[in-house]
Amino acid sequence: MRINSLRLQLLAWVVLPLAGLATINLWTSQRNALATADLVTDRMLVGSARAIAEQVAMVDGVLDATVPPAAIEMFDTGDRDSVYYRVETAGGRLLTGYPDLPEAPQHASVEAAYRDHQLRLLTLGHAVIGAGNDSPISVTVGVTLAGHDAMVKQLWFSAFAQQLALVAIAGVFVLLGLRRGLAPLIRLRDAVRSPNRSDLDPVEVPGAQSEIRPLIDALNAYMERVRAQMAAQRRFIANAAHQLRTPLALLSTQASYALRESAADARQEALVALQASSGKLARLAEQLLTLSRAEPGSRRPRADRIDLAEAARHVLETLAPTAIDRKIDLGLEEAGPVPVIGDGTMLREMIVNLVDNALRYSRAEGSVTVKLAAIDGEAVLTVADDGPGIPADERDHVFERFYRIAGSTEEGSGLGLAIVREVVENAGGRVTLGDGAAGGLLVEVRLPLA
Amino acid sequence: MRLLLVEDNRELADWLGKTLRQANYVVDIVHDGEDVEHALAAGDHALVILDLALPRMSGLEVLRMLRTRGNRVPVIVLTANASLDGRVKGLNEGADDYLAKPFQIEELEARIRAQLRRANDRTAPVVACGDLVFDTNTRLFSLAGEALALTPREHAVLEQLMVKAGRTVSKAALSAAIYDFETDADPSAIEIYVHRVRKKLDGSRVQIATLRGLGYLLRQDDLAP
Repeated sequence: MRINSLRLQLLAWVVLPLAGLATINLWTSQRNALATADLVTDRMLVGSARAIAEQVAMVDGVLDATVPPAAIEMFDTGDRDSVYYRVETAGGRLLTGYPDLPEAPQHASVEAAYRDHQLRLLTLGHAVIGAGNDSPISVTVGVTLAGHDAMVKQLWFSAFAQQLALVAIAGVFVLLGLRRGLAPLIRLRDAVRSPNRSDLDPVEVPGAQSEIRPLIDALNAYMERVRAQMAAQRRFIANAAHQLRTPLALLSTQASYALRESAADARQEALVALQASSGKLARLAEQLLTLSRAEPGSRRPRADRIDLAEAARHVLETLAPTAIDRKIDLGLEEAGPVPVIGDGTMLREMIVNLVDNALRYSRAEGSVTVKLAAIDGEAVLTVADDGPGIPADERDHVFERFYRIAGSTEEGSGLGLAIVREVVENAGGRVTLGDGAAGGLLVEVRLPLA
Repeated sequence: MRLLLVEDNRELADWLGKTLRQANYVVDIVHDGEDVEHALAAGDHALVILDLALPRMSGLEVLRMLRTRGNRVPVIVLTANASLDGRVKGLNEGADDYLAKPFQIEELEARIRAQLRRANDRTAPVVACGDLVFDTNTRLFSLAGEALALTPREHAVLEQLMVKAGRTVSKAALSAAIYDFETDADPSAIEIYVHRVRKKLDGSRVQIATLRGLGYLLRQDDLAP
């Protein structure tokens, strides 16, 4: 529809002005036709008057005016025009013709009504030798306008036909040109719409003009971006499915074991383990969800003003039981509010992942310290543990999703640090890994202060 | 039957091992692809359950290595990658069967039984010797229609003899088939287990014959009434 309307639009832009020009042209050509007919008629009137005047002569001392038939017949163009004439002496004595014919000036024609007809009239003066005071005589010839009008019509009609043909031919060429010109655009539309385009392959439109080429290039570039994003999503989902399979197999195995076991204590042990596994699985699912929410474009960006110190205290309180179970000394060091702008839920989830990681990898009976400070307009959050740390050459990789350090026996999901990075970067900050004072890992998050 | 389970997720390996032991299999567990060859050399495993995602040496590499060295032990591959491509690759490298995680333990057990049957050239799930019958599906022995109660070690001994019924099984082979790595193999204890099993088979039409210097042999007693 849109392409059709573009066609109409272009057609209108070309044909309407052309029709306007043709109209002006027709008007001038009508005037030209009229002028031509006037000129021809006047010439004929002059010719006719001269023919009549030249027949006026002195015969036996008397002025004799005999009208030659040719002078009348030259107006016989088949339009049944009536010709009227009058021959007078200089003194105004009528020699022949119609006395009541309207007066007309010499050398110029006039139009006047006569006997219910419109006449075109002209007067010619002519000296007659030997006529004395009667010379010069004046000959007035008038003719009705049928022939004149027919000539105008004929002249004008051919001009009209030419103009009309011109506009029509122009319109046809515009349509043809448009069809040719728009063909690549229509092929592009068909290529994009084509039902066997399941993937986002680049569109190829052979013969596309230089004006359309940028559109196609832009479209292809856009599809390439979408494809890259989809590929990343697909990889993530495949990875996620992969990561869920082993814990699910574990759950199923533990349940089967418990069902088959008749000894109460062994059964109890299996059920406790089953509960722990399902808890881990739930945590994994939660992390996957967080990660998909942290992904750009998946959630309306929120700009909460939250106190990072307050959020950290809350997270630490929640995780305290885990720390106590593992006899880890979990501590918070802060000196007043550290306000930042960002998505509150995501920032809290970020802290949960950092502290959870620290607790997971810290030595039993070790310590984990969370520090908060506002330094140089930045909110600085550090989490230090006394675990094995992360070797320098692994530090770039650990932020990748599902990355797990080879040989690591701890059953982490490989998602924690990926979530941290995603959240911190969304909030306009950065995260770095370093060595803790007591060995172990030191994670530092810097966010702009609110 | 002694199985080798190769799985890097320690919890899953642990619980799979426990569940298979419930069904009277002897199960050894290794967590690393590099340990497989050593484990297979040390024990007489009837079957290997192999996870593909292993640290250091992937399951596929392990499989290729085993087959290149002519080891024909049946291998059931476990993997979290259920793609067609993954399955085909595994089977091409010489896996005998393929199971995608998550799986039901019943399916794994059925596949283990099927592989063991094939390895022993059997098609029927029930093995009989005289009036002693071993149902490989329930993994229970019965004698003259009555269920035969056996401890796990006795079960392992009798199963090994049953599978090789009519052929001699050396004491060393018996020992390799019934002890896992966590138990100190004690060849003299074999005699005790055989003795106990013999007592339980008393009065039946099967007997365990001792061939000095060679080993043991389970056979139908034609002379008994």
